[in-house]
Amino acid sequence: MADHSPEENRLALKVVFYGPALSGKTTNLMQLHSLLNPQRKGELMVLETRDDRTLFFDMLPIGLKGDSGLDLRLKLYTVPGQVQHDSTRKAVLSRADAVVFVADSQAGQQDNNATAFGNLEENLDKVGLDIDSLPMAVQFNKRDLPGVVGDAELQQRWAGTPWAPLQMASALHGKGVIDTFRVLLDRLYTEVDREFALHTDHGIDRDTFIRQLSAASEENRA
Amino acid sequence: MRNFEDDPTLEDLLTSDQLKRLNRMLSALCREPVEISGNRDSGAVALEFNLETVGWLSGGSSGQERLAAADLVSFLMMFIAKYRLAANLHHDTTEASYAELQKQNEALKASEARYRALSSQLQDKVDEQVAVIKQAQMDLYESARLRSVGQLAAGVAHEINNPIGFMSSNLKVAGEYVSDLRQMVPDTDQNRELLDDFADLIGESSDGASRIASIVSDLKTFSSIDQADYTLCDVNELLSSAVHLLQTEYGQDLDILEKPGELPKISGHPSRLSQTFYNLLDNAAQALRAGEQGTQGGRILAKTSVDSDGVRVVIQDNGCGIAEDIREQVFDAFFTSRPVGAGTGLGLTVARDTVRAHRGTIQIDSREGKGTRVTLSLPVR
Ligand SMILES: Nc1nc2c(ncn2[C@@H]2O[C@H](COP(=O)(O)OP(=O)(O)OP(=O)(O)O)[C@@H](O)[C@H]2O)c(=O)[nH]1
Ligand SMILES: [Mg+2]
Repeated sequence: MADHSPEENRLALKVVFYGPALSGKTTNLMQLHSLLNPQRKGELMVLETRDDRTLFFDMLPIGLKGDSGLDLRLKLYTVPGQVQHDSTRKAVLSRADAVVFVADSQAGQQDNNATAFGNLEENLDKVGLDIDSLPMAVQFNKRDLPGVVGDAELQQRWAGTPWAPLQMASALHGKGVIDTFRVLLDRLYTEVDREFALHTDHGIDRDTFIRQLSAASEENRA
Repeated sequence: MRNFEDDPTLEDLLTSDQLKRLNRMLSALCREPVEISGNRDSGAVALEFNLETVGWLSGGSSGQERLAAADLVSFLMMFIAKYRLAANLHHDTTEASYAELQKQNEALKASEARYRALSSQLQDKVDEQVAVIKQAQMDLYESARLRSVGQLAAGVAHEINNPIGFMSSNLKVAGEYVSDLRQMVPDTDQNRELLDDFADLIGESSDGASRIASIVSDLKTFSSIDQADYTLCDVNELLSSAVHLLQTEYGQDLDILEKPGELPKISGHPSRLSQTFYNLLDNAAQALRAGEQGTQGGRILAKTSVDSDGVRVVIQDNGCGIAEDIREQVFDAFFTSRPVGAGTGLGLTVARDTVRAHRGTIQIDSREGKGTRVTLSLPVR
């Protein structure tokens, strides 16, 4: 649920990185933090971790200003993937405007992916959101590892879903992270523009929205 | 309610004491005192945290000093905010878990209540069934008792039949012998008196024997021991033998008016029908006894007729009637309005069950002090 306050002309959106434990959600966020150079970028807050594993969540705020002076913020969150932190996952997921599902490409992790996806569906339901109408991008991470499930096979499996085509990534090496994020921004824009008339009321068209929020550091400098 | 992720304000992050202390420490580091507040003074530098301006820093000896101090504060804010976020998240999830627990508790309570209701319903159902079984057992017991009484009666009747037969014919022959004797003995006053008395004795004995014979025949009809379960029954015959048996029991001063109509035979269970008629007649006789004038002036009407519903049997008395408040209960097994010891109260229940078994109806009209009319309707089939 977007947090819109017309008096302050502010719109805050929430994007949640979801997925099984160790699939690379935090890595995605850390990469976005270092690779992105959006109009505005806050600090990456990595809350408690133990052995590199998220206990609470990570958060990165980014933002842009529209022609109307609209102060648009995007808060990017990761959830803890470990099964036992379900109540935290649910709390972080509540009021989400969009979800990036980070799956692990390794063949042995497919069951975990499925379980986590089921858990996402269930928790969305619990916090009053609908998986079919929520903007979402699905990323298969760790493509650099040997023994991953083939690209074509994965694409074919997901072909019939609203989330095709899948995004392939190697977050550790910064590959596919921004692409995934852009796909998400594209889907998110459709929903947000419909509700808040970003284009007509605030002069933010789809291209601006995506470009400004996902500008890569080098591109920006160039 | 604020969510854990809502952007924190300056007050959320620092208490006023902490803020004062921070101001003092920063001032000690700067050449001129600095101050952090929620108001924007001219020349103040924004304290940014997560793209959010949480406060303003003013004072200091130069813009550069203000910027340096603001940087330091932002850096500190980050850790304070992290703690706050984590604490808020913890609070939120605890609260959510608690709410969920409560919801589960409610659901549990609701289902427990449902089960309790179900189990009490179950108790009712069990009680109901137990009552039905008790009733069936009683009926069974009663009908078994009736059957054995009937069998006994039929056996006795059969045994009596032969001796009473030869007694009757012997008495008849004996009567003829008395006539013969009259010719033979001398005609004296003493002899004539003796022979008249002799003839009277034989005549009375003969009457007695034929009365015994008719009781035996009624008993045989009544118990119908030699009949199959369902057979073609002559309702008038059954009713009549029940009337005779009742009169035998109560003595001849019981006034029973029989008004048999022309009836087709019906398919029925003769001994149960007899028993039913007997019970109803017995009730009527008891009602007369309990009435104002006793059996004196009391009268029972036993009438049969036929209409479109089948055979109609009316047994009516002008006895004490049934009080309004107990009329509803008259069919309850064991319900009896008679004094204790006067009957089991099963009479009407047996009557109703028998009538039901014959797919007929039973109707009771009664007025207290005036009398009772029981109407049975039995389909001819
Ligand atoms: N080889 C490889 N390793 C990766 C990749 N992405 C992440 N990893 C590694 O996987 C491990 C887990 O990464 P995280 O980003 O902490 O995973 P997470 O999804 O945040 O895990 P939780 O916080 O426990 O849910 C780390 O050791 C990463 O370095 C990748 O693309 N390739
Ligand atoms: Mg993590």
